[in-house]
Formats: sequence, C-alpha cells, structure tokens
Amino acid sequence: MDSMAVLGQILVGLSRAMILFIVAAGLSLVLGVLRVPNVFHGSLYMIGAFVAWTVAEALEGHPARLWVALAAAPLATAAVGLAVERTLLCRLYQREHLMLILFTFGVMLILNDLVKLGWGPTYRSLVPPEELQGAVSILGVALPRYNLVLLGAGPLVAGGLWLFAHRTRIGKIARAAATDREMVAVLGIDVSRVFAVAFGMGCLLAGLGGALVAPTTSITLGMDHTLLIESFLIVIIGGLGNLWGALVGSLLFGVAHSVGLLIWPQFAVAFPYAITAGVLLVRPRGLLRSVW
Amino acid sequence: MRMRRLAVLAILGTVAATVSRAGAGPSPRFERNIKVGIVDTYSGPPAVFGNDALNGFRLALEEINRDGVYGARIEFVTRDEKFSPEIGLSMARELVLQERVDLLVGTINSATALAISAFAREQRVPFIVWISKSEQITGAKGHRYVFSTSENTAMAGKALAYALARRGYTRFWIGAEDYEYGHAVTNSFWRFMKRAKPEVTLLGQTWWRTGEPDLVPYLTQILQARPDAAFFGTGGAGMANVLRTMKVIGFAERVPSAIHTAIDVTVLRPLGAAAPEGVWGTTDYLFYYPESPANREFVRRFQTVYRDPPGFPAFHGYITAHFIAEAYRKARSLDRERFIEALEGLRIRTPVGEVEMRACDHQAALPLFFGRTKRDPQFPFLVAGDLLTLPVREVMPTCEDIQRARAQGR
Repeated sequence: MDSMAVLGQILVGLSRAMILFIVAAGLSLVLGVLRVPNVFHGSLYMIGAFVAWTVAEALEGHPARLWVALAAAPLATAAVGLAVERTLLCRLYQREHLMLILFTFGVMLILNDLVKLGWGPTYRSLVPPEELQGAVSILGVALPRYNLVLLGAGPLVAGGLWLFAHRTRIGKIARAAATDREMVAVLGIDVSRVFAVAFGMGCLLAGLGGALVAPTTSITLGMDHTLLIESFLIVIIGGLGNLWGALVGSLLFGVAHSVGLLIWPQFAVAFPYAITAGVLLVRPRGLLRSVW
Repeated sequence: MRMRRLAVLAILGTVAATVSRAGAGPSPRFERNIKVGIVDTYSGPPAVFGNDALNGFRLALEEINRDGVYGARIEFVTRDEKFSPEIGLSMARELVLQERVDLLVGTINSATALAISAFAREQRVPFIVWISKSEQITGAKGHRYVFSTSENTAMAGKALAYALARRGYTRFWIGAEDYEYGHAVTNSFWRFMKRAKPEVTLLGQTWWRTGEPDLVPYLTQILQARPDAAFFGTGGAGMANVLRTMKVIGFAERVPSAIHTAIDVTVLRPLGAAAPEGVWGTTDYLFYYPESPANREFVRRFQTVYRDPPGFPAFHGYITAHFIAEAYRKARSLDRERFIEALEGLRIRTPVGEVEMRACDHQAALPLFFGRTKRDPQFPFLVAGDLLTLPVREVMPTCEDIQRARAQGR
C-alpha cells in the first residue's frame, strides 16, 4: 500500500471528522455547562438536515441557496432547542441525571414524530450547487468538492467556539460554570441565562452539523441514531464536557476509521467501537480532562 | 367416417365439460367477508416501501371488491411493525388471535418476515411475504403456510451473476451493508457467480453498518484496490447513499458496478440528479417497461389515484391482492387449507404478464429486468437503459435447489 493512498484516505476521513466535531462539540458544551446529557441532540441534527433541504428546495435555482440553507437550519434548531429549554428543561435542572435523560429522551421521541408528520417518510436529497459537485483529485484520491467546505467549516467552528469561550463574558462564565457551577451561583451571576445561551449554542451546532451533512447523504428519518451514538462516544473518549476533547475525539474517530478501512475493510463495522474501547482501556476518563 | 368420429368427439367433449362444471356445483356464497392482516413498516425510512405496497394492494382491492369473491369483500387491517421483528411478531399474533384474520401479509423486513413465518406455520395461517427479499423465506425456511410474491435474493443473485458472467470481469470487490438482506444478496450473488464463471476471484470485501452516513472513505478504499468490477449488497436509504457517493467521486466510470434494485424507481426517483449513470441493476418491476397495454393501464390507474408512478412494492401489493382473490375463487371456500391448495401453482395475469405461484416452494415465478442507469429527458430522475428481460428459468432457483436447501436447513 503506498503512502499516498494513506494520506488521501486521511484527508477523506478528516472531512467526516469535521461533521462529527461540530455535532459532538454542541453535545459536549451542553453536557459541560448544564450537566445535561441531551438525548434529543441527534433529532436536532436531523431537523437541521430537513430544514436545510426545505430551504434549498424553496430557493431552487438561486445561486446562494445552499448558503442560505446552511444559515437558516442552525437558527431553526437553536429556536427549537431554546423553546424546549425555556419552557420545560429550565424547570428540571435540580433533578437527578436519570430524570434529565428521561426528559430529553421524551423530547427526542416527540421531535422525531413531528419530523415524520412534517416531512413524511420519504428520503430526500439536497444536490449541492454546480460548482461544488463532482470531485477534485488530491494525492491521487477523488475527494468530493463539497468536502472542501466541510474541511473549512470545522476549523471555523473550532475558532468561533474558542473566541466564545475565551473572549466573551458569557463564554467565560459558561466555562466557569462548567468547572464549578456552585461558585458561579455564589458570585451572584444569573446562571439560568448562561444555561440558556449554552443550550442554544449546543442546539445551533447540532443543526449546523445536520445542514452541512445534508448534501452528502440521504436525508431521512432515523439519520439521527448513528450520529447520536457516535457523538456520545466521541464526547466520552475526548473527556466529558471538554470542547477540545470533542475535537481530538472526532479527529481520532474519523481518521482512524478511514485509515483502518484501508487496512481491514471487512472489519469496518467494528472500528468505531474498537477505538472507543481502546481509548477507554488506557484512559478511562477520556483523553483530555473531563469537567465532571 | 371421419366426420362422424369428429362429431362424436365434439359431443363427448361438450358433455364432459358440462359434467365437470356441474360437479363443481353452483357458485358458493361466502357467509362473511375475507379479512387480511397486514404487518409492515409504516414509520422510519422503510415506510416508503411499506406505503407503496399498501397503495398497490388497495388499488387491486377496488377492482376485486367491485364484484367481490362469491359475495364477499376483501377487507384489511394494518399494523406498524416499526422495522422490528419483536413488534412484528406480536402484531401478527394479535391479528390472528384477536382480530381473527384469514391470512397474514407483510413485510419489508426480512427478519420480521422470517419470525412471522414461523408463527404462521405453528398457527396454520397462510402468510404471504410481499416485499422482503431474503431467499430463506421460501428457501431453507419455507413451509406449507408461507408464500412470497416478491423476487428474492436467490433470484437477484442468480440474475446478476447470469448477466455479469458474460462480461470480461474476473477480479471482484464486494461492498455491503451489514444486515440480513445485505448478507443474503451478497452470498447469493457470489455463489451463482462462482457457478457461472469458476475463474472469478474475490479481491476483497468491505462491510458497513446500516445507516452509515458517509460512504466516501469506503468507496475510495475500493477504488484504490482497483477491482475489475464491484458488487454492492445494499437497499433502501443505504442504497441511495452508495449511489450518491458513486456519482460524486466518479466511481462507476472507473469500476463497473452492479447492485440489485439500483435501477428501481423507488431508488432513483428520490435521488434525482444525484444518481450516477452507468450502474447495472436488476428489479422485478419498472413502470415504463415492458410497454405492454396491461402495464400501461396499471400505471395509468395507479397514477390517477396516487399521483406518483408505482414502484416495485406497489406491483407486489397489487399482485398479492389478485393472488388472494383468485385463490379464494378457485378454493370456493374460506377454509385455510383449501386456500393454500388453491394458491399452489395458481397462475394470474399481472402487469408484467402471467405469473405462477410455484407449487414446489410457494415462490412467485417472476422474470427480472437487467439494465443500466441512464438519463432520460422525459423524467427528472434516472431510468434504466439497455434493458434485458431475464426469463424465469434463468432467474428462479430450481425446485431441486430448494429441496436441498430445505433438507440442509432441517
């Protein structure tokens, strides 16, 4: 096997890692700041994909249709997430984890049924604009042009999250709340507002992930399952609630998966789980420091 | 002399015909309606297929119930198995024990079909499988109470092997989704390929989970292995992902690829312009081929009611209803055992010609169509070109094959 093939395959794996990172970062943010394992995070990802499809479909023929869709979908999922948080979830923060899991699980069932009511059971395709169709040959590997967008989006989101966490007041408070929420409350800061912002951002990222993935795959009911499981695995191997852990976890996940495929294609199904098990054997609390 | 003999023969013939009709007695009258219990997936991605089959079934019932079957109407109830064998089985139990249906029909899920089949055998209730394609249903695990109106993986594998063996490929790669259908269709293809062309070699195989969203890494890896041709064992939304990825990275131009049902409308229509040209596929129903009056009429009526053209599940649903009605007409009774005997070997007229329910394995003997995806200005989605009808004798496993599989299964 030549090294070019491996390099090319790494590149292919990286673009998947970017989607995983964006979604897992949202999950991790909510998990870190609010201590809520958001089970309906996957549903928001699916809703993001469906909204992106609807918007792109409505703007058929418009040159910027994909970009408008990519902007509208995250806003829509953030709105859904905030509505749930402000009306119901905010009343439950004092409850134990099991209650929160049950609650978010219930919301997942409701959202998935609403998607079924709204969009029906058929699967959809969002065809990217002409200039992003087809593939470019990099290192001898045909890389879909659209994957270049994904490769760009990952670092942008990572940078944006860093700016939010380190350069904005609310981001700093969110970071503090993630490490020691009692202390933050003692200082007289309205934690509830911080929670709402963090939750909204988490949901925004889920929708962004869904919108970004929409042109590459079948938009269908049930597309949330795989991703939700993978995101939780990534958050766990990266370190619960640690944003950079989510980045490291996704890169490991995406790249090891695609390179592993080159070596043992017949065991591709088991890779993600083998990687998770391997990491947890060596570092049971994840690669980076967990905020829990 | 000769004239007299002919006249005697004619008289004898008439008498025989009259006697035999008289022997059957006057038309019976069924004292109640016939009730069909349908278990299928009506939620999640496979619901597309479940709904299409139900639409075809409903359309046929309209025709059947206009005159009825000996005064009875065919009614049906549906249950959503949510693509789960456990749920499907409990739904089937409820339909038989509580709803007291005369027979069961379903489902898209091969695992559910096999579970219900075992239950139907135990309860002695006829069960007609109409979408799922595992060859085990009427093959190794077939029995008196289970029938199939759907083509199966044995037929698909045999058809694709038959069609590909004539081409110059020897080094194959197999890529497939890790579930019952993926394994069944892949095993069957490779078994028949080896039989049709012993010199073929399997360069390697790649398996992925159902619902795997990003197949780019999988397909680029196969491209790098440079096989002569590739076979994919995948269906439903997973199939759409394979085709989309093929189109994006230009896979089919470099590695000739074959997938069962790749040329099917239910697969190509949702993909629109995202589907690749030049992929080989097989299916047992196309709304635009053959262009026979029977098929045109079926499509016209289906589109008047449901707007979209019928996919293969609609065709299965349609012929299932007609098989049921014809079998009751032939049985002249609501008795389950007599219904089964009537259905065995029954031939009905369908949009693709006459179809026989084979007596030896209870499998509808359907021809398959082999073709290659191509653009057609008439449609906003890809259709099949270079179409070839693979006749029943080339497609169906022989009754001896079935007996052997059943003996081994026991």
